[in-house]
Amino acid sequence: MLRSVASSMIQCRGIKHQVKIKWVRPDHVPSYKPEKSGDLEAIPQYSPDTLGNDYALCKEIEDAPESVKKLFSVSHLGRPEYNKLVKKELMARVKRHKYDENTAESKIARITGHIRCLQSTMENEPRNIRVKQVVQELIDKRKQLLKFLRQYDYKKFEWLLEKLNVEYKGQPESHNKLSRRESLRKLTEMHCEEIRNKKLNDYRNLLESQQGPFLEEKLKALKFIKSEQIELQIPVTVTDQDIRKVEKQLEEWKIKDEIKLQSKKKARNILFENVET
Amino acid sequence: MSRNVVDTARKLLLLGQCVPTVKQNATKIKVKRLELDENLLMYFKKDEFYYCHDPDKTCKIGDIVLIKALPQKLTKLITHEVTEVVYPFGDITDPITGKKVAKERYREDIEREIELYGKLQSTFDYNKAPPRGWQEGKKDFTSKPTYTKYHVFDENDPYSI
Repeated sequence: MLRSVASSMIQCRGIKHQVKIKWVRPDHVPSYKPEKSGDLEAIPQYSPDTLGNDYALCKEIEDAPESVKKLFSVSHLGRPEYNKLVKKELMARVKRHKYDENTAESKIARITGHIRCLQSTMENEPRNIRVKQVVQELIDKRKQLLKFLRQYDYKKFEWLLEKLNVEYKGQPESHNKLSRRESLRKLTEMHCEEIRNKKLNDYRNLLESQQGPFLEEKLKALKFIKSEQIELQIPVTVTDQDIRKVEKQLEEWKIKDEIKLQSKKKARNILFENVET
Repeated sequence: MSRNVVDTARKLLLLGQCVPTVKQNATKIKVKRLELDENLLMYFKKDEFYYCHDPDKTCKIGDIVLIKALPQKLTKLITHEVTEVVYPFGDITDPITGKKVAKERYREDIEREIELYGKLQSTFDYNKAPPRGWQEGKKDFTSKPTYTKYHVFDENDPYSI
């Protein structure tokens, strides 16, 4: 009893919310993950019978028996040989010529292959700190190379992103740490903006709905003034141009009004359908 | 006196770089300036930002452009207009020879080198390449400023990190 009274007396900590906003904290995503590093493609899959990188070039292996071929296959040679194949495939997509090893695009392709291999390793052993470090360094290196390539050759940069299936995001202006207060402030701002826009839109709709009747009245009045002036033989101040202008405005307004009504009907129908289902 | 000179000079022409902005009707231009610290008697860099009127969207992010003050403010924010794109970003032409350049070498020379080594089909071809901007919003997210993710929305914004 006493405790409940005391808790009601003591001021609650934190911000008191007058606006109903529910903040959901985004989950932490480790930076080596593909969604953070920008890799849109997983590591390519090879069958276990594929021969190793250098051994495939050998002539003797073509006529060799199955047991020998198995010895020189990727499944037997192990992970490093598999990774070499991955890097080779990615580099083959962008190579300029046969001996191209050190240009920006082939460097980026090689690093991309390496990153994807290590990312698959990290999925299996998430506590491997050595690999985690290496992946992070490689991702940073690739980002820097892409940044430079973007500066001196934009067309090639875009082509490379398409070929290697990599996303590139610009550097944010400031790295602020995620905090509840700041996030709530932004969400509240968004909420206020929404309310403001809604009110403005409503007011605009109200004014636009009044435009049509007013224009009709104006047209009548202008015609009346003109006829009266002609009857009384006073200098005519209302020209045909004025009347035509008002007529045009009225037609435009009618077309706009119809479009609005149709869109409203559509929205209503969608609402009804949702309620029925 | 000096302040007046600076103010009038500002109104003439300014050289700046286009930077990403959230505003849809304006382009944001960064002008690099130096500010004198009178205690240390040293110049420190200080950036000035101007929002410019550019109805045809002539300049893209990263371009070096010339801007000029408008006779009247268009809005509260927009005070200048973009007059000319001087250097398009990532598509550099050598001003003396008029040839295209990639980093410190001519593109011609690079292509000649590739042909000597034996051109492969995977080589990038400048003639067939579409103009800049075909990857915008697909894989190249540099046209708007990126920010740290602060809430889980229904739709995932690609510009959040």
